[in-house]
Amino acid sequence: MTAIRIIAANTFREALRDRILYLFLGFSIVLLASSKLFGILTVGEQDKIIKDMGLAGIQFFLMLIAVMMSVLLISREIDSKTVYYILAKPVRRWQFLLGKYVGLLATVLVNLFLMSVMLVLFVWLYGGGFDPRLFLATSMIGLEMAVLVAFATLFSVLTKPILGSVFTLAVFVVGHVSQDLWLLTRHLPGSVGRTLVSLLYYVVPNLERFNFKTEVVHQLPIPAAAIGLSLVYGLVFTALLLVLACLKFEGKDLQ
Amino acid sequence: MPEVQLRIENLRKTFHPGLFERAVEVLKGLNLEVERGEIFGFLGPNGAGKTTTIKAITGLVNLDEGEISIGGHAHDSMEAKRLIGFMAENPYLYTYLSGREYLRFSARLLGIEDAEIDDRVEGALGQVSMDRRADQKMRVFSKGMLQRIALAQALLGEPALLILDEPMSGLDPIGRRDVRDIILAQKDQGVTVFFSSHIIPDVETVCDRVATVIDGSVSEIGAVRDLLAREVERYEVTFTGLDPKVLTTPLVSAQMGSDAAWVRVDAGQRDALISELARQRARLVSLTPVRSTLEDLLLRQYEEGAAS
Amino acid sequence: MKRVWVTLLVVALLLAGTVVAERALQRVERPDPLGRKLLYLPSADMLRLASLGNAGLTADILYLWSIQYYAQYGLNDRFLYLETVFDLITDLDPLYHDAYRVGALIIQLPNTDEEIHKKAVIRLFDKALRNMPGNHEIAEAAAWDMYIRYRDMANALRYLKVAAEIPGSPHRLKRFLGAWSEDEEGWSFENSISYWVEVRETAKTDYDRAVCEKQIYRLVASRDEDLLNPVLEDWTARYGRCPDRWESLVEAGWLGAVPVDYFGQSYRILPESCSAMATESVRFD
Repeated sequence: MTAIRIIAANTFREALRDRILYLFLGFSIVLLASSKLFGILTVGEQDKIIKDMGLAGIQFFLMLIAVMMSVLLISREIDSKTVYYILAKPVRRWQFLLGKYVGLLATVLVNLFLMSVMLVLFVWLYGGGFDPRLFLATSMIGLEMAVLVAFATLFSVLTKPILGSVFTLAVFVVGHVSQDLWLLTRHLPGSVGRTLVSLLYYVVPNLERFNFKTEVVHQLPIPAAAIGLSLVYGLVFTALLLVLACLKFEGKDLQ
Repeated sequence: MPEVQLRIENLRKTFHPGLFERAVEVLKGLNLEVERGEIFGFLGPNGAGKTTTIKAITGLVNLDEGEISIGGHAHDSMEAKRLIGFMAENPYLYTYLSGREYLRFSARLLGIEDAEIDDRVEGALGQVSMDRRADQKMRVFSKGMLQRIALAQALLGEPALLILDEPMSGLDPIGRRDVRDIILAQKDQGVTVFFSSHIIPDVETVCDRVATVIDGSVSEIGAVRDLLAREVERYEVTFTGLDPKVLTTPLVSAQMGSDAAWVRVDAGQRDALISELARQRARLVSLTPVRSTLEDLLLRQYEEGAAS
Repeated sequence: MKRVWVTLLVVALLLAGTVVAERALQRVERPDPLGRKLLYLPSADMLRLASLGNAGLTADILYLWSIQYYAQYGLNDRFLYLETVFDLITDLDPLYHDAYRVGALIIQLPNTDEEIHKKAVIRLFDKALRNMPGNHEIAEAAAWDMYIRYRDMANALRYLKVAAEIPGSPHRLKRFLGAWSEDEEGWSFENSISYWVEVRETAKTDYDRAVCEKQIYRLVASRDEDLLNPVLEDWTARYGRCPDRWESLVEAGWLGAVPVDYFGQSYRILPESCSAMATESVRFD
């Protein structure tokens, strides 16, 4: 366990020293601040636009951070062979992989926390009052990122850095589209299309299960079961992906 | 009976590069034993399987067949990993860290107690003469400096078995001398050293025993002295006035210059050559006995291997 | 050093070239007669898919765009696809209150096809109430729009009824409903009075209760006046002059008791017109 902690801490340190992180953080701050501008343009309630933009921006930039950082921190490590000196030490392969994952996830979650605090502050500042439920929406986005980073980890063991990031991006897109697509295809006549979409729906995580933005923005009640089950879904999927990644990594020849 | 520190039995490894590419059998039943406390050299041409063997020992590639044990433990066990210090051909280090930071990170991974880490790190830095530059980010280091840090992280755990892949490559003569000195110093402390190299003079002067690897298996193994003693003595003959191509005496090698030719011949053929040169009215310039080197041994083995 | 200046000059010239080209393009007329921008709006399903889980934000962006678009003067055919646009926005976010409200306002702007636009407004408001059944503000807005803009009392009353029945809606809605229904539906005094009594029961504040009481008072007074004035007429016809007190009629056996208003005070007899009058004048504060 200590090996995981040591590697995670080092990964976190590496991420903090990478300037791309600050680029994305900076952009998200700009987005949050400028959401007020859009609020001014509207006729009616400004809060909705500020919250919608804030939540979407957080999700988007976190996704970029997750995808890019995963490539940098895991794929690059394998590709540039710096992993050799780690694995030659008394460190098991799965400990290395999990350590990278935890370090990466910690980076994402720290950014998530910062952005969430800023969003709540901005909403408060712009007259929308103190809305703690925004933290709920962003926490679930964090869970979504945990799943996405697990995918990135798996892809980094399977393939080259660039492909890995493209595939992770694809998972993000399909994950959000699959639920609606599935509903649409219920009405399609042909069965080939429907089976294909169903397959995609179950294999790729349904990332909409972590989407509570509408409820939070419109202040609708959220059943505890929805949150609880989504938590379970996310954790189980993440565990599955990490197990697969570790299994693949055990048998991988590092050339 | 000296203890065996590293034993490799019947090591086989085939790589499968891709869907449409043929499998490459790199290791074809490699066997060797390294005794405790000796400096063991690992020689061979490119593609012979040296680096693959070392990767197999350190667990970076999986074995198709065969067994490797280190100090009596299976090579992929944690006990075995604690016994080795590894340095790769290139310095694969986290260049965003400073030398000291990287060594501290490595020390923690090795399980060194917090109280001891500083001493060990400073000790390793001192051994590779990098104590003054250790706080700069390694991004700005030259290859030589990076290799020193890589060697430092290998020495950090006070290993029983040092595994070095081309430790002198990319170093200037001073660096090479320093590495040689470190290897000898480690031997004095009872550490077993196993290293591969292309730089044959270094292997010749430092190693106790040597294995030559040709085409995926061990071709020769033994003390340098003994291997060379088996080599036949040769002579180098320089002459003018004759094209070596017309000579009938079997030659080891022949070269034609602008005004002179020189050939190498086995000791047994020396007299026959001299006679032939005289018959052909060539003018003898010099006759020198040639001490066989390991390089010759290697080349001969390689040519034999390629021919078979 | 000279090379640096030359490079800078070249870069500056190229930059200037792009600016000049852009400004020239701005002056070129590219009319958008059919609101072509709107013709190619994708369906809500496609947009939802493309938004990757941010349907609400997409609705916001469309809404902002549509407000800016419809605020431009000079595009005469820009109202062609009004309903389509707001349908799209409210399909993406069915709970978008402002889109329904402002959309309806924009559709109501003066135009050549009042009937068609009015139907579109009604469709949009009905959609709003389907998706947000508890939203009394939108129902009230609909009622006022129907009343003020279109003088369509039937629809106004329909929306007002819906609004008034929503639990938690302001009390004034029930009061407006009472006032409008009286006029439109020709309620009898009894109907009206029983309605106001019901409404008074639901009043939460003293003010609301007081208003109801005043209405009840007014209705009771009107009813009573309608009953009492013929009696006074008969008396005048019989005896040649207006009675000066109710007691006279009671003594003559014409009335059972002195008539009192809702608060228990006796009515006055106005000598000039010989009619009954309630003592409290009704004011709508």
